[in-house]
Amino acid sequence: MLAQRCEIMFHLGQYIPRPSVVHALDPRVKILATLMLSMTILQAGPAKAVVLSIFLLGGAWLSRLSWRDIGAALKPLVFFFCFLFLLHLFFTDGRPLFPAFPAITAEGLSRALITTWQFMALVVCAALLTMTTTPSELISGIERLLRPLRAVRISSHDLAIMVSLALRFVPMLLLEFHRLREAQLSRGADFRAGSIMTRLKKISSLTSVLVIQTFQRADELAQAMEGRGYARGPRTYLRELKMGSADYTIMISTLVFIAALYVLSV
Amino acid sequence: MIRIENLEFRYAAEASPVLCSVDAQIGDGQYVALIGPNGCGKTTLAKHLNGLLTPTSGDILVDGMNTKDSSTLRDLRRAVGMVFQNPDNQIVGMTVEEDLAFGPGNLHLPAAEIGRRVEETLYTVGLAGYEKRPTHTLSGGEKRLVAIAGVLAMQPRYLVFDEPTSFLDPAGKRRILNVIRKLNGSGIAIIHITHDMDEIVDSDHVLVMAEGRISMAGSPGEVLSRVAEMKALGLGPPQVTELLWRLRQSGQDVRETVLTIEEAVKAISSLILRKSGSGGDDARPKV
Repeated sequence: MLAQRCEIMFHLGQYIPRPSVVHALDPRVKILATLMLSMTILQAGPAKAVVLSIFLLGGAWLSRLSWRDIGAALKPLVFFFCFLFLLHLFFTDGRPLFPAFPAITAEGLSRALITTWQFMALVVCAALLTMTTTPSELISGIERLLRPLRAVRISSHDLAIMVSLALRFVPMLLLEFHRLREAQLSRGADFRAGSIMTRLKKISSLTSVLVIQTFQRADELAQAMEGRGYARGPRTYLRELKMGSADYTIMISTLVFIAALYVLSV
Repeated sequence: MIRIENLEFRYAAEASPVLCSVDAQIGDGQYVALIGPNGCGKTTLAKHLNGLLTPTSGDILVDGMNTKDSSTLRDLRRAVGMVFQNPDNQIVGMTVEEDLAFGPGNLHLPAAEIGRRVEETLYTVGLAGYEKRPTHTLSGGEKRLVAIAGVLAMQPRYLVFDEPTSFLDPAGKRRILNVIRKLNGSGIAIIHITHDMDEIVDSDHVLVMAEGRISMAGSPGEVLSRVAEMKALGLGPPQVTELLWRLRQSGQDVRETVLTIEEAVKAISSLILRKSGSGGDDARPKV
């Protein structure tokens, strides 16, 4: 029950298994495409925004993700989007749109629209990546993309292990936090009463216990990893990534699409 | 063969020793139970077997490799697998197959060989079909099996289990013990740390530890025949052993050491037969 609750918290906006072409793509292609699209989104004007929106929705359709899935990714940020919209709407100088409300300007409206769209599009873009790619695939993709870093003596293998361990321990720490909280509640602690400061104090007392436990865990984990022959530096993997024809097709068409946007400067 | 020779271990030079003049041998393919009360040094001793800790004085030789020799450390870790008590602290991968691939990946094995080992070890521990399962969604017993499989994928010759059945329900315990027996049957030497006397019955050899020393050693029968000493160490012998021991204490003529329920039934029914006079169908106890 508790485990399930943490499960839901952790999986919000996370990987959704579907039989789609996008799911089957090489994670490197998806990561690079997401990066390029994100940069384009941040520089887009109104015309580009329309084209990019269609492209993103096309991506969602190819990934067999529903409106509901996309909505789930955007929902936690609704407040932020509204705030952003209102901020730009009211605090941009320019021609007043309505004589009665001089604070609302035409420039403000267009700026509010485009900025809010940019952030929403970024979230959708990132969600397309994380919803179609398992965390393990993401990590192996990042590991392969960062391999050139060994030229500056940074091991992508070590980075990959660090990231995957962090991800692996997130659900466990959440579960442990709930357990601690419930153990204290059962002994009469009340995390809702009192001023914000006293509530923060109570929560921070839980955190210190959690931190100590985490250090103990880390120590044991290090020993277990050592026992299984872990050493820093190169290692081999169960699955080595391999680019197929579909991967090249998507990679090239995304590149062509972005190049076209710039060349035609829509 | 693992030879432990006059092992002494202290965490710091001035600290009192955690382990003191420990001598023992673990033969190829042997099933050794290491038993003792909490804090007697069992886990510390276990961590010496694959070089996670090295002796303050004395030596440990695993198939001729000294655990102090850093040049053979990788081969040592490959030979002696350690399964720790808490599976949550030793599972590295986010999915079952990734976790099993961790050890072989550290050994730089090619992908095809890693895949073969993952499949094989999952089958051995009875978790075939669990490849893609996220590790944090597994039950306590399944996590233990994944932890065992993760070590097994390194194809060790010796496997050390640190209290492998703690916190499990009876069915979960049986499942783990069956896997351990099966692994021993396939030729892997087992070092099974426990404080549950019921679990030493299957072993070939028992080492009893108390306060950092080996206080008794022998076959399960030999060790369990010393019920009074075991009780003094705070270790409860299996119920059937203690029942027969008490019968003997009260002056009944029964076999000294009984390890299994079957043996106990035999011993008690022959006692009843003898008590109720000689033979005759009426005299036979109704079971």
